Amino acid sequence: MNCDEVRRFLDAYVDGELDLTHQLDVETHLTGCPDCQEAADQIANFSSLVRMDMEVYDAPRGLKSKIRTSLRKESEPKFAWFFEYSRPLAYAAAVLVLSFALAWAWVTLSPSKDQDLVAEAISNHSRSLMVSHLVDCRSSDLQTVRPWFNGKLDYSPPVVELNQAGYTLVGGRVDILENRPVAAIVYQRGKQIINLFVWPATRRKIDMDVRSERGYQFCGWNQAGLNYLCISEMSGDDLEKFEDQVREHLSL
Amino acid sequence: MGEERRRFEEIFLPFLDAAYNLARWIVQHDQDAQDIVQEAYMRAFKGYHGFRGGNGRAWLLTIVRNTAYTWINRHAADEKLVPYEEEKHAAIISFNQPGSEIVIEKRKEYLQSALERLSTEFREIIILYELEGLSYKELALTLGLPVGTVMSRLSRARRRLQQEFAQVRNSEAANEL
Repeated sequence: MNCDEVRRFLDAYVDGELDLTHQLDVETHLTGCPDCQEAADQIANFSSLVRMDMEVYDAPRGLKSKIRTSLRKESEPKFAWFFEYSRPLAYAAAVLVLSFALAWAWVTLSPSKDQDLVAEAISNHSRSLMVSHLVDCRSSDLQTVRPWFNGKLDYSPPVVELNQAGYTLVGGRVDILENRPVAAIVYQRGKQIINLFVWPATRRKIDMDVRSERGYQFCGWNQAGLNYLCISEMSGDDLEKFEDQVREHLSL
Repeated sequence: MGEERRRFEEIFLPFLDAAYNLARWIVQHDQDAQDIVQEAYMRAFKGYHGFRGGNGRAWLLTIVRNTAYTWINRHAADEKLVPYEEEKHAAIISFNQPGSEIVIEKRKEYLQSALERLSTEFREIIILYELEGLSYKELALTLGLPVGTVMSRLSRARRRLQQEFAQVRNSEAANEL
């Protein structure tokens, strides 16, 4: 290789992106050519200057939750556009489609298993509020709550700290859902209590977007082999935020 | 239905900073970059079925880049795209800073101006390679170019950036005299 050829490959050489043959050719040339060696050093130096000194823009706070919100809207079934057409025909069609959609949603989205589970979870939640049996282990310290579950359950539920997001850890207790002991981790925001139930998804995975029932809001999801179901009297929007926080911290 | 969304979020939200940084560097405007990133995530979500695993980051950045270009074309006639903020060029550096910090600050400032002077084509390849750490192969996929072209474009972009950098520095030095 002569100098001109080498210069063509020099950036790729510095970046370690050349195939072996070319890599060796360039290397051989550089040992005998101080000019090209100098040029290679310059490329490397400038590249590291760029990496070091270039402004890196982090996404502004709030962008993430904006995106989550639009993703939620996006994944919801859409019927809104029907109502833009005020013609009776469109209404008739809308009614038809809606009733089918509702029937479909009823059948596919709320299998009776979910219904039972939710009913059970709601009664657990309301009982935990009523009989002052909120937690068996009262502590806002992860290092106390985490090990407390050991021996009481055949899995260790991840307990996360959400202080910065405004949710105080109240503590934990063992509760029963679908005939098995599950971890109930309790958080508080203002006066509102959130029960977060966690158990292994051995029988089935749950997946519920935020819904309301009997004045409580709940949502559930599956993450890393565990089912999470949270229930609270806070608004659906607030509960979505709570879910986002938990999922965010779990994936850290 | 929620499950798919959650999986998508788990894979792609960790790349939010990278996505924003790329958009921000391409359009050089905060609000526009935010809108682009948001739109790109929606597009990515709709096209999620087409994602065959592999490098999610490069896949997402490709979509961010395409969205940014669509955006630029759509708004080409608008006044909305501000090329860069004036204050940056009038930045005053405190004399209380120790010498080395002034030098670093100055260097950052020169680099910033030099990058802003590059064509979008050159700027994006620098960002994608030096900052986002894409390999030549990933660059080829993202930019829709053969690897050979990636190699020569990156090389030209670097030469150009270096020239602009030297020019900014020289003209600043001349101004100070």
